[in-house]
Amino acid sequence: MTRDCEEIKSLLGAWLDGELGASEAAEVRLHLQGCASCLGEKARLEKLQSSLKSVLEAKASQLAFEPFWAGVRQRIAEERPWHARLIDWARAVLSPPRLAWAIPAVIIILLAGLSLEQFFPGWRWALNRSNLAAVESIDGHGFNVALLRESKTKTTVIWLFENHEGEEETSAEPVSGGPAF
Amino acid sequence: MEISEWDLIQKCQKGDVTAYEELAAKYYRRVFMVVLGMLHHQEDAMEVAQETFYRAFKNINRFKGGSSFYTWLYRIAVNLAIDFQRRQKRGVMDFKENMDEVIVETERLGSDPYREVRDRELGERLLAAIDQLTPDHKAVIVMRAVEGLSYKEIGRTLGCSEGTVMSRLHYARKKLQEKLGSYL
Amino acid sequence: MKAKRKLPRSLFRAALLFSLWLALLPAPLGAAEKGQPGVQVKIGTILATNQADCSDSQLSKMKQQLEVIKYRCYHLVKEESQKASWLANAVFEIPGGRSLVVMPQEYRNNRISLKVRLLEGEKPIVDTTVRVPNRGNFLLGGPAHEGGVLILSISAATQ
Ligand SMILES: [Zn+2]
Repeated sequence: MTRDCEEIKSLLGAWLDGELGASEAAEVRLHLQGCASCLGEKARLEKLQSSLKSVLEAKASQLAFEPFWAGVRQRIAEERPWHARLIDWARAVLSPPRLAWAIPAVIIILLAGLSLEQFFPGWRWALNRSNLAAVESIDGHGFNVALLRESKTKTTVIWLFENHEGEEETSAEPVSGGPAF
Repeated sequence: MEISEWDLIQKCQKGDVTAYEELAAKYYRRVFMVVLGMLHHQEDAMEVAQETFYRAFKNINRFKGGSSFYTWLYRIAVNLAIDFQRRQKRGVMDFKENMDEVIVETERLGSDPYREVRDRELGERLLAAIDQLTPDHKAVIVMRAVEGLSYKEIGRTLGCSEGTVMSRLHYARKKLQEKLGSYL
Repeated sequence: MKAKRKLPRSLFRAALLFSLWLALLPAPLGAAEKGQPGVQVKIGTILATNQADCSDSQLSKMKQQLEVIKYRCYHLVKEESQKASWLANAVFEIPGGRSLVVMPQEYRNNRISLKVRLLEGEKPIVDTTVRVPNRGNFLLGGPAHEGGVLILSISAATQ
């Protein structure tokens, strides 16, 4: 039994996908050897497939991991119990920087438990909570960094202490001129 | 020493988010591709892809290693993307929105600029054309093109038979060819 | 709720429909604010010094916030507002050859997630991601400038 072009064309997709049985596949292959019209159809189907893949690849390659992960982590953080979040947070903030050549010192000053609000949602400042900015991450690139969150005045401050000694070891004390919080 | 994927998964099952970050870094682009193919809109795709990773983490204890982790992930992604479209029901996309991108990009083209512009344009038109298919048709066309999945695997993901996958693919390709006409 | 009872029926019905629509939004996906065209980002650059007491009337709204930092004098040097698209950078020029790059990342639970980078020339000084309440702000301070320090008030509002 031989099939006409329309029938062959309707099988081409599945044939390209490798989903036809052996005898049908052989029939398609044979037909393609002598039919320009069906060969053209095959080329179009292939192009459809490859263009879709390449346009999506191109778009996905522009997506940076950091902002993507930030969204995932935020969703996870909102669901996890506070103690688990505290551990994660501490790990993220206190872990040594990944770049071996830099020795940035990051000091986080948590004043009077003000920032605890972040980890105890709804605790004590439930009414003000939505008005206080939440800091997810800070990288001081070699500067010392302090974080202050004051719920009464709805203030979140990230403070950079310039490290005048340049690449010197961690200067634990903030350089003079910093705020007296 | 490279930590195997299964080790990472077991860490995740104990609640280790850092281990999960490694897994996410490995797969986020592939998941994003599948979802973007189905949703067209970058922001929607980002939202659904992030939600995919969130749900996978939340349910990671259910992952027993029967399939690859990525297979498990994209099954979640595809189903969330279908779900998302049913909720969303956006209006039909306007081609022009994407055409601007095509024009901007012409500045950094390679050896055969005409061909590249055409291919790029084809890509954008293709995405716009896919956007007009039904969620189920989108899913089959994207899964096949991006992941090269077998009909059996696609059927498992969508909960339908191989025959259904075949006929949906056939229909979707036909529709796309009609819409793209001379671009192919 | 008392006020509502006096509203005309049509308005009440509209409100009901609106809240129904709200309830039917794809909340599980967190897509609470789809179709937001962008974010209005405002940067106020404030010079804080200790030479003498002073007050800048333009900063009266921020008085309480600034008091937390305890300098003697605050002066608004510059204020700039830009419309930033989601996942796109908005660049602000900051005195002293610095620049601030702000990228609104997402909007969830009435908060705007901002990725912020402060640069001195080409050199990054700080990278931070902060979730600011819609129409809220946070302060970024510390860089030395003209005998004092700069404090940036970074605020964001969806449009
Ligand atoms: Zn033929």
